[in-house]
Amino acid sequence: LNGYPLNPLCRRIRLTLPVANLQDNRDDLNRLTLALKKETKCTDINISLAIIRNLGEILRAAHFKVTVLLSEVGGKAEVIAVEPGHGHQPLYGLAVDIGTTTVVAYLLDLEKGRVIDTAGTHNRQARFGDDVISRIVYAVDETDGLKTIHQCIIDTINTLIMDLLVKQRQIKESDIRVIMTAGNTTMAHLFLGINPKFIRLEPYIPTANFFPVVKAQEVGLRVNPDALVFSYPSVASYVGGDIVSGTLFTGMGNADAPISLLIDIGTNGEMVLGSGDWLVTCSCSAGPAFEGSGITYGMRAMHGAIERLEIDPQTYEVSYTTINNGKPIGICGSGLINCLAKLRRTGIIDRAGKFQTSLSTERMRIGETGPEYVLVWRDDTDLDRDIVISEADVKNLLRAKGAVFAGIRSLLNVVGFELESIETIYVAGGFGNYLNIPDAITIGLLPDIPIEKYKYVGNTSAKGACMALLSQEAWMEANSLAGKMTYIELSVGNLFMDEFVSSLFIPHTDLTLFPNVSL
Amino acid sequence: MALTGLDIFKQLPKTNCKDCGSPTCLAFAMAMANGKASLDMCPHATEAAKENLGAATAPPVRTVKVGVGEQEIVMGDETVLFRHDKTFYHPTAIAIQIPDTLSGAELDAKIEKVNGLVMDRVGQKIAIDMVAIVNASGDAATFKAAVEAVAAKANFALLLAADVAGLEAAVPAVAAKKPLLHAATAENWEKVVALAKANNCPVVVKGNGLDDTAALVEKVAAQYKELVIDFGNTQQAKTLAEMVNARRLAIKKKFRPFGYPMLACTIATDAKEEIVEAATYVAKYASIVCMKVDEKPLLLPLMAWRMNIYTDPQKPMTVESKNVYEIGAVGPDSPVYVCTNFALTYFAVEGEVVASKIPGYIVAVDTDGASVLTAWAAGKFVAEPIAEFVKNIGIMDKVNHNTIVIPGYVAIISGKLKEKSGYEVVVGPQEAAGIPAFAKARYPHLMK
Repeated sequence: LNGYPLNPLCRRIRLTLPVANLQDNRDDLNRLTLALKKETKCTDINISLAIIRNLGEILRAAHFKVTVLLSEVGGKAEVIAVEPGHGHQPLYGLAVDIGTTTVVAYLLDLEKGRVIDTAGTHNRQARFGDDVISRIVYAVDETDGLKTIHQCIIDTINTLIMDLLVKQRQIKESDIRVIMTAGNTTMAHLFLGINPKFIRLEPYIPTANFFPVVKAQEVGLRVNPDALVFSYPSVASYVGGDIVSGTLFTGMGNADAPISLLIDIGTNGEMVLGSGDWLVTCSCSAGPAFEGSGITYGMRAMHGAIERLEIDPQTYEVSYTTINNGKPIGICGSGLINCLAKLRRTGIIDRAGKFQTSLSTERMRIGETGPEYVLVWRDDTDLDRDIVISEADVKNLLRAKGAVFAGIRSLLNVVGFELESIETIYVAGGFGNYLNIPDAITIGLLPDIPIEKYKYVGNTSAKGACMALLSQEAWMEANSLAGKMTYIELSVGNLFMDEFVSSLFIPHTDLTLFPNVSL
Repeated sequence: MALTGLDIFKQLPKTNCKDCGSPTCLAFAMAMANGKASLDMCPHATEAAKENLGAATAPPVRTVKVGVGEQEIVMGDETVLFRHDKTFYHPTAIAIQIPDTLSGAELDAKIEKVNGLVMDRVGQKIAIDMVAIVNASGDAATFKAAVEAVAAKANFALLLAADVAGLEAAVPAVAAKKPLLHAATAENWEKVVALAKANNCPVVVKGNGLDDTAALVEKVAAQYKELVIDFGNTQQAKTLAEMVNARRLAIKKKFRPFGYPMLACTIATDAKEEIVEAATYVAKYASIVCMKVDEKPLLLPLMAWRMNIYTDPQKPMTVESKNVYEIGAVGPDSPVYVCTNFALTYFAVEGEVVASKIPGYIVAVDTDGASVLTAWAAGKFVAEPIAEFVKNIGIMDKVNHNTIVIPGYVAIISGKLKEKSGYEVVVGPQEAAGIPAFAKARYPHLMK
């Protein structure tokens, strides 16, 4: 829990209420709330009409012994359920990372404070577009678009819930009483069925950054219908709850934290810079190149993906390793970064990414879209053609890495700090698992600072969602973080664009920024 | 050195309450550092913060206003020495002199001519800003009459240039128009400043060179701060150097006596040389240039220059969207490529169209300098705006076909674009690098 106490967002309180008689003739609701106030120190306790309707019977079913399921944050409490007796039903929660591409759910035992199981699957919204923009367009432009796309994410999460429950047979869906979701701003809007139209239109305003707590039945999740559904708060249109969650997880906003940087190397390229005092954040829209998309032979990191390669500087021959040692069928993100570094070191491309077509190797040739370099000959692949990297691919990768680095420089610039001021760089995202830091520095994707300062943190969005479920303190901190993160709009002014253009070279136009990279 | 956003942030209450209109305290601090917000917008600022930040965030160059209503001119409030560091905010006001020796029909004709110094440039109205009535006669009554006559008819703010007697006679009559008084000098400043103060008008402090002017401004500023500085132009090069030094001192060293707008009167006698002289002052920090030329053809380039210098450079790099770009020896059969006006996008496309060796037209849709996917994401490069843009630019009248080529990444809009525009929409390659192959396959007959 990274220093936060185990104090889940939802807990059971077992109460023995004074029995009603002619002397103590208070009404049932008053009897219950007074006891709760005493027990919890909460002054503001909300009980819904649905629960009150049958309260009289419930209190008397076990002679005024009741178990109250309560969600309590910052002195305010919401009664989720009142049940007769002092039973020992388990209490489960669900933390869901709603990624644009992948949705991951963690099943937690809230009383023991541990993760029981996890499940992941593709976000079914993908059939309406790979990126958030296409989905906004679909939701806004098509008849019933929002309804359809909202239902898609609900179905996706319900599938995960089913998977988890099937794997954990003793757990019933009605025992899941609280859900925490974290996703980017668009995902949060679509999950709750909020119109996302203005997120993409200048000046890029989301409908809400802080979302109401709703009941599971209101959104259609297949858990206990009265379960409370929390949504991580967002910062701006393109910096959402997933990043706030990641920021919480890294602890970079903790009171005495030194200056650090969190980078999510994904399609949106969100990053956060700051310390305990201040936090600035932006989204650099790197595009999906490092996830293999938009690259001729790009692919996800799975069986048969080239993840590492060498190019002989004399003979220009290529040797490589693939995931699971399968026959190569493409290159994944880390392979692409590695490849770019090697192409440059061997002089196959120049600093601008232009292919040196005069090289005397048959691997260099002119393909349909211009110059290309053969990495694997057809006979060695599991395809019926050569695996190549083209000049257009290289340019695409340069733009993606340029956007990330320019984002970092822009954030530093707005607060007036140098790269040297950063104590730790947290690299997040599914991609982070396969990232080779020295290669990334060689091509200028990441700043040239000592490797010890880098830390892989993986899927921080899901981890932060779990933390918030297990600790009220963490959840309150997450809300305070979202309130103090300052969003920097990169499309205003020339700063980002100047930095971006300067970053379209390997490693950069300004070589003094990369003193340890030899060319 | 000005305070950074973080310096200011340290003094703020850090409530992130959004009451100031900024989403966070840090965002507000950054806006303050950029001069886009002031501390009084924060209802929770402590007294200590107000004291610490008040002086430090005070603008290096004071804002001074002349004229009222539509004739009002805002001067000063500049923060940089080079426009590319941020921007120059308030364009140099151009003042045209009218001597009070003119009278009757002569004077009327002159006023009419000066009022006519209004021109159109790139769809915007540009004009002179001030009329300077000069007490050339040396007589106070004559001056007063001329000032009243000009004030009744002139469409611009007033600059009154006279000695104490002349100013005392004329100012009360036109004080409601908030004229700028010229000038308080070492000899007369007490009287002129008292007059300015009494009539609530800004006043020019005219010294002789840097040291002398600084000393005089210090004396005047103790009593009145609605000031404009005049270094008493005697040589153009010297005035240029003085204005550069004064602005440097005001911004870099926070030297208060030079923290005011500056005025320069041209001294060149030849009209063309006068324009060149004025152009120098426009580029180098003058808030007002007072000149004699009143010929439109001579003033137009000066005003265009002023407009260019004071354009906000913090805009994305773009190519002109008004033109259809012709790449090579185009003809009625040539393909029409549609891209955005983001410079990097345009030049990527242009380079590849050249490389295809097939002449073609490029239409750069105005997307405020956003790239294809960025503009698409923001709803600026979608069917309706593209259809309208292509129609308005008239490219389809130049060709004998009905086909436009759009970037492969926005293939999704092709159906709607065809429907909205009535053109045949061909989806080109995703990358500009694919244009040569695409063009060769599609237009082999056009190959040279």
